[in-house]
Amino acid sequence: MAMSTQLALRLRPEAEAVPELLDRLEAFAEEAELSPGVAHRLALVAEELVANVAMHGVGASFVEVALRQAEGALLLDIVDDGPEFDPLAEAAPDTEAGIEEREIGGLGIHFVRKMVRSLDYRRQDGCNRLAAVLDAG
Amino acid sequence: MQIAEIKSGAVTVAAFEGRLDTATAAAAESKLLALLEEGGVVADLEGVRYVSSAGLRVLLKAAKQAKTAGKPFSVCGLQAPVREVFEISGFDKIIPAYATRAEALAA
Repeated sequence: MAMSTQLALRLRPEAEAVPELLDRLEAFAEEAELSPGVAHRLALVAEELVANVAMHGVGASFVEVALRQAEGALLLDIVDDGPEFDPLAEAAPDTEAGIEEREIGGLGIHFVRKMVRSLDYRRQDGCNRLAAVLDAG
Repeated sequence: MQIAEIKSGAVTVAAFEGRLDTATAAAAESKLLALLEEGGVVADLEGVRYVSSAGLRVLLKAAKQAKTAGKPFSVCGLQAPVREVFEISGFDKIIPAYATRAEALAA
């Protein structure tokens, strides 16, 4: 495994940026020899957080994604210059609800919560900064 | 994302290939909802290596429309990471999922 495997990406905060994000994450996962399960969780967390910026960050001019490996963990940082928005403040969906009651949506942040080891939000220098840590193994 | 259609009696198999995500969800949704107008649908996800919440939303919408219209809707061929997403979301309890296309068609 290459010790230097890392990724830094600056995207426009819009849904159209997601294919590039996922392509780059797949390349990262291959180079870092991540298991399919870990690669999927990583891509999912990154897509959900970037899609969140695209959805809520009206006024954001960019979203930056930085990713590196460290001792069995993946460190994912997402920064955008949109209005203050803490995705951790969103309510969790009711995953026990039946099909009629089940809301369409609200799932993204639920996945993120389930798939990260830790997730921290802070507002700093006019930017939203999310730091996610995922298990690499 | 590519979607192949295979007719099997009153049911259409929609065989997906690629990623079901924020970027491909809209096209997948219009295809599935159009197919449900004609009859039951099995969404074969064997060729899908990645599903995000945007993709799941499409499947939930299709399942709801099928239920309203009284038509069968199921998924099959879930790869392990995709199955994990189904389980975490609770979708495994509300959308019938089969191991193979043959099992889905026989159900």
